[in-house]
Amino acid sequence: MGLFDKLAGWLGLKKKEVNVLCLGLDNSGKTTIINQLKPSNAQAQDIVPTIGFSIEKFKTSSLSFTVFDMSGQGRYRNLWEHYYKEGQAIIFVIDSSDKLRMVVAKEELDTLLNHPDVKHRRIPILFFANKMDLRDALSSVKVSQLLCLENIKDKPWHICASNAVQGEGLQEGVDWLQDQIRTMRT
Amino acid sequence: MSSVPMEMKDSAVSSSKWLDAHYDPVANLYTFSSCITLADLHGDGENKLVVGDLGTGAGNMKLKVYRGTGLLSENTLLDLPTGLVSFLMDQHEPRTPAIAVASGPFIYIYKNLRPYFKFTLPNLEVNPLEQDVWNQARGDMIDPLTLKEMLEGIRDKADIPLSVRSLRFLMLEPQEMESYVNLHKQQPIRRQTVITCIGTLKKNMADDDAVSCLVIGTESQDIYILDPEAFTILSKMSLPSVPTLMDVTGQFDVEFRIIVACRNGNIYVLRRDSQKPKYCIELSSHPVGLVRMGKNVVVGCAEETMQSFTQKGKKLWTTYLPAPVTTMALLDLPTRGFQAILVALANCEVHVYRDKNIVSTIKTQDVVTSICFGRYGREDGTLIMTTKGGGLIVKILKRTAVFDDKDSISGPPIAQSIRLNVPKKTKLYVDQTMRERENAVAMHRAFQMDLSRLRLAAARAYVKALESSLTPMSTSLTEPLKMNAVVQGLGPSFKLTLNIQNTAACRPVMNLAISFLYDENLYSMRTAFFKIPLLVPGLNYPIDTFVECLSDKGISDIIKVFVLREGKSTPLLTAHINMPVSEGLALN
Ligand SMILES: Nc1nc2c(ncn2[C@@H]2O[C@H](COP(=O)(O)OP(=O)(O)OP(=O)(O)O)[C@@H](O)[C@H]2O)c(=O)[nH]1
Ligand SMILES: [Mg+2]
Repeated sequence: MGLFDKLAGWLGLKKKEVNVLCLGLDNSGKTTIINQLKPSNAQAQDIVPTIGFSIEKFKTSSLSFTVFDMSGQGRYRNLWEHYYKEGQAIIFVIDSSDKLRMVVAKEELDTLLNHPDVKHRRIPILFFANKMDLRDALSSVKVSQLLCLENIKDKPWHICASNAVQGEGLQEGVDWLQDQIRTMRT
Repeated sequence: MSSVPMEMKDSAVSSSKWLDAHYDPVANLYTFSSCITLADLHGDGENKLVVGDLGTGAGNMKLKVYRGTGLLSENTLLDLPTGLVSFLMDQHEPRTPAIAVASGPFIYIYKNLRPYFKFTLPNLEVNPLEQDVWNQARGDMIDPLTLKEMLEGIRDKADIPLSVRSLRFLMLEPQEMESYVNLHKQQPIRRQTVITCIGTLKKNMADDDAVSCLVIGTESQDIYILDPEAFTILSKMSLPSVPTLMDVTGQFDVEFRIIVACRNGNIYVLRRDSQKPKYCIELSSHPVGLVRMGKNVVVGCAEETMQSFTQKGKKLWTTYLPAPVTTMALLDLPTRGFQAILVALANCEVHVYRDKNIVSTIKTQDVVTSICFGRYGREDGTLIMTTKGGGLIVKILKRTAVFDDKDSISGPPIAQSIRLNVPKKTKLYVDQTMRERENAVAMHRAFQMDLSRLRLAAARAYVKALESSLTPMSTSLTEPLKMNAVVQGLGPSFKLTLNIQNTAACRPVMNLAISFLYDENLYSMRTAFFKIPLLVPGLNYPIDTFVECLSDKGISDIIKVFVLREGKSTPLLTAHINMPVSEGLALN
């Protein structure tokens, strides 16, 4: 199956469809990250705060991603849980220069991990410690410490430092996610 | 289904309605709630924390701006700040607010964190007599000592106080006077007041980003409203006392209300077209915190209470607090339609009240001296506190936090407000009540009369008992004795047991005797007189004797017992034994 999958992928015949949830506080850079992952002709020029959520699509070598780019604003965060069931992977974005709201990010992450639709599923979680270019940004190690990521035992997870504006660090993360999804399926 | 998890959530996380975002115990911030505000200084949607830092001791006063957890900028202030507000002063783009810092008689306006303008309060009227005296001094018509005498005379009598110049002069030593007079006599006399509190008032629109006027309260018991662009005085109002705390609502051109707490312990409400206060609320103790919630005023008082009033001065409720109030602020979450009062107490706690019910308690590491709640950075529900020791605490209200009136810790239990099912009043009850109400005086008198009679009767009986030594207790201090008698048997033979006890603490009693007095036709006794052995204190001595009843007619009599002391004719103790009727038959 795996071989066939790859073969089909190389041939561009058939790509597996995966639904990914993109979560994180407002202003963390979710929309910017997803915009960068889209083919350059489909990229938006200016990015405004997301209202509610928006659905974006992009492809990697073997997978076809459908991303639910959720709004991170406080009043829309209660929408997130309605999409947990459909999500086969999660991208969680953190503004690593926003030290003050690290506790809020942790609180939302803990709520997510304890949600019945997520708790007992082995869904991969990719963390982007975004805005690493800013002077007062925390390192990805520090971010994972503050979010207590080492406590996530029953799900594969990975954290990358990223700069969504320049597109740095994004590919590494998406490659990891793609591997996870493929091993999960076979 | 929903109530159980709710309950559990409340008890388990009631302390964690707040996320601890930041705590710096050595932030070196010394300030009060009047000198702290949140404002979008750079127009980037990210609110900054602006603090007028009073520093420690003299000097070190600073205007500090925080972004997130770090200090963004610092400006030196020339004098102690008494109030700080942010306000939009014009329509220019970008629409970034200016900062006004009140200190002494001045307001320093900062735009883009750079000094922009300095407003000075108008001078007060100078006492004409004082002016006169200084004019004479200028013309060298009087010497400094005469000047001093005359100024002292004015100081003691005049209703317009002396200027600072004259007051300072009066403090000088005689040798310094000459040079002081020469230095100052050419300058005009000025009398200035200082700002005690500051607030803002929207000019003519209610929008969040509308231009605002500054409202200032002064030591001279006045309120001034300043034009935001020209800094001219738009309106002046007078108060009966010095304002200390202020809340302003409305729009200057339409209708507004200024609520001021004053140093005389009163709260006054001023309105648009009244030069004098419209309403007055008299408090029982001094106000230390003032918050407006909708149309009501909530005041924290020095006597550890919090009281709420309508703006017309009607009292709504009082709550008793466990410690003195240090400061108060409003918790306003318009997105969730929630308002509450934050009260910082001297016992290192901050309480959240919704009306008079406490809905959350926050324990802090130090006594909180200033509170500010609002949008900080990008987070709407941020609580900022600074402490007595110069610390900075930032907490964020959880998105999922619910404030429930139910989990009020103190305050009256709910059972107290449940009405008891008291039965209806009966006719008898009503009649009795009517009777008592109509004859209250007579009933009282009758009662008093009976009470006096009872006392008299008791006193008489006591005196009689004393006089006839009829007591089974000895009243003599040297021989404190106690006796009781028990009669056993059915008759005609009776056994008589006398229990004698020496109740003295340590002295034994000696040389006592007992004798009986009885009707010899009725009774016979084997021994009607005997001696008592030495009585050790505290022990009970039973003494038995036998009595024979001689009559079979079913009559009985009294036998008197006397405890006597050798060589004394009056008995120490007397007891009357009521003999029972002999029921048995004589055997012989
Ligand atoms: N310096 C820097 N800025 C970034 C980076 N990523 C995003 N931003 C900026 O952060 C701001 C917010 O980015 P968005 O992508 O809209 O954030 P979001 O997470 O989608 O926000 P919501 O839709 O409100 O939840 C934008 O101004 C971006 O330009 C980064 O890596 N570095
Ligand atoms: Mg977005």
